Amino acid sequence: MLKISQLRANVAGRNILKGVDLEVRAGEVHAIMGPNGSGKSTLAQVLAGREDYEITGGSVTFDGADLLAMPAEERARAGLFLGFQYPVEIPGVNNAYLLKAALNAKRKKAGLAEVDAYEFLGLIKAKMKFMGMDESFLSRGVNEGFSGGEKKRNEILQMLVLEPKLALLDETDSGLDIDALKVVAKGVNSLRGADRSIVLVTHYQRLLGYVEPDRVHVFADGRILKSGDKTLALELEARGYDWLREGRVA
Amino acid sequence: MSAARDQDAALRSFEAAWRARPEDRIAAARADAMQRFLALGLPTTRDESWRYTSLRALAGRPFVDAEPAPPARSSWLAGVCAAPVTIVNGRPSSGAPQPAGDPALTIESLRAAIDRDPASLAARLGSIGAAESERWALLNRALFVDGLQVRVAGRAAAPLLIVHSAESARDDAAVHSRVIVDVAAGAEATIVEHHLGGSGHATLVNHATQLHLAPGASVEHYRVFSSDERTTHFDALEVLQGAGSRCRQFTVALGGAMVRANLSGRLDAPGAEHDSYALLVGRGARQLDCVNAIVHAASRTTSRQTARALAAGSSRVVFNSRVLVEAGTAGASSNQSCRGLLLSPTAEIDTRPQLEILADDVKCAHGATTGRLDPNMLFYLLSRGIDRASAQTLLIYAFLDDLLTGMSLPGARRAIEDALIGELPGADLLRSYR
Repeated sequence: MLKISQLRANVAGRNILKGVDLEVRAGEVHAIMGPNGSGKSTLAQVLAGREDYEITGGSVTFDGADLLAMPAEERARAGLFLGFQYPVEIPGVNNAYLLKAALNAKRKKAGLAEVDAYEFLGLIKAKMKFMGMDESFLSRGVNEGFSGGEKKRNEILQMLVLEPKLALLDETDSGLDIDALKVVAKGVNSLRGADRSIVLVTHYQRLLGYVEPDRVHVFADGRILKSGDKTLALELEARGYDWLREGRVA
Repeated sequence: MSAARDQDAALRSFEAAWRARPEDRIAAARADAMQRFLALGLPTTRDESWRYTSLRALAGRPFVDAEPAPPARSSWLAGVCAAPVTIVNGRPSSGAPQPAGDPALTIESLRAAIDRDPASLAARLGSIGAAESERWALLNRALFVDGLQVRVAGRAAAPLLIVHSAESARDDAAVHSRVIVDVAAGAEATIVEHHLGGSGHATLVNHATQLHLAPGASVEHYRVFSSDERTTHFDALEVLQGAGSRCRQFTVALGGAMVRANLSGRLDAPGAEHDSYALLVGRGARQLDCVNAIVHAASRTTSRQTARALAAGSSRVVFNSRVLVEAGTAGASSNQSCRGLLLSPTAEIDTRPQLEILADDVKCAHGATTGRLDPNMLFYLLSRGIDRASAQTLLIYAFLDDLLTGMSLPGARRAIEDALIGELPGADLLRSYR
């Protein structure tokens, strides 16, 4: 599904990603954990196609295609979804319109007709109910005036509507109370399937209690330092990150 | 030497037009205005309120009065009222412009009003703005050929649409017209003035509107400019508000080679409320210069000014707003919000909110920002699979959204949105968006 080899990238002239290697197969859930400032979010943004981040080396293939050669909108249509750590407020652009336009962009790419308005409303209402969201959100501006938790739910809602092949969820668990965390986990779990992959970027083990990962990676200083199964997350929770870095230096 | 002579061509042509006019019953008021105008001359960029708009090219053009002409086009705002009043080259197109029987509205041509009661009309023509920034209004007082006097005595049953159309078969025609609206105590009206036309010839339209609100009166006023790219507008709007009156004013500039739109508001008695909105769309080589001056002359008066400026191509958009809170007032409140969006590296937006507070007990705020499309918003939309052109179009439209939603006349809002969409890239997308 996703294969990252020796990926390097600069942000504002500073080298942030320093040779990332990662392979995610179809059906797998991966967790990328690491301290603040380690470059986890940069990796997520680079994969989604953020233009002002400069790729200085390495390669990424997504479903066999050269991901880095595709503009952001193409990546999304090909089935990649980024759940933003800080979802952007866009007053004046209607939430329902964004969802519909995004869905239609993907359908167009797949050679399908635009979604029928009635069908769309049915779909969206069912997904909102599933995510415990009020229908009034549809008529509001994108994330406009949403609380932190509402924004994160909205990201998951978009993900459920778009049904991506690969979902990158950047700190989707941060700032959530326990109830909201459960709802978000429910949404993520509902997307799990043999033909989909999910990458959870997080710095707490908390979410992983609800969404069980197949692989856990420790990200520090711009690369993956260590990989393991879900027990690695528990070990990190108990021991922190420093022992890994010290180990590397030694 | 010829260059020096050319620089006075416009001024001399206005003086010649004035001398050639048959005297009417307000000739003394006109002569006074003309003398003051000639003494001041045309403004230059050395004048503070004309810093951003040069009239050098215009000053060298000899203007002639536009001839009477039949109506040649209809307004895309015609849907807002059953019986619009059309003014072509400054003259009401039907002799008696009384629209469908609304007992709350009395409309007559200014010509008729001058003949009927010249003294009170002459007394009404004085400008409340500073003469230095109102030179075109002075010229208008000297030269307006005709226009309308509208009296609102109660609650108007329907909005009144006034279509100002400039039709000329030659370059350098000048139209001088005026509308005077009196809204009686407690009366209510919605008035839409639509400036359109220009038949492909370089035309100057110098218009003035005076809006007087008696105590408790309520008005929503629109002035919309959608002329062709060879028409220059100088437009002076004067709003005088009595106690507890409410005025909502929308200035929408979607056309013209140059539009200079002044708004002089005076909150003359306690409790008056004034909201003005400017939607300024620059594209091509268009120059839009909007100058607002609001005076809080009484206690517990409120003003809010909202401007959204969009500049594409090599256009230039200026929004200059000044609020003066006079000494001896208490509890005045004022807010100014100007936002500009630059869509090309060669476009320019200048916003200048100014506050002059001579009282102690006031609440005033102002903010001005100008920038390009937010890259974070753009990336968010791209990351959802929206193509770049559509994403940019959506963000541009979103930028104007809160101004459009302020319009409480649905027909006007719809028509203005349609016209606006036609001015923006990605028109098809926006049509489906709505």
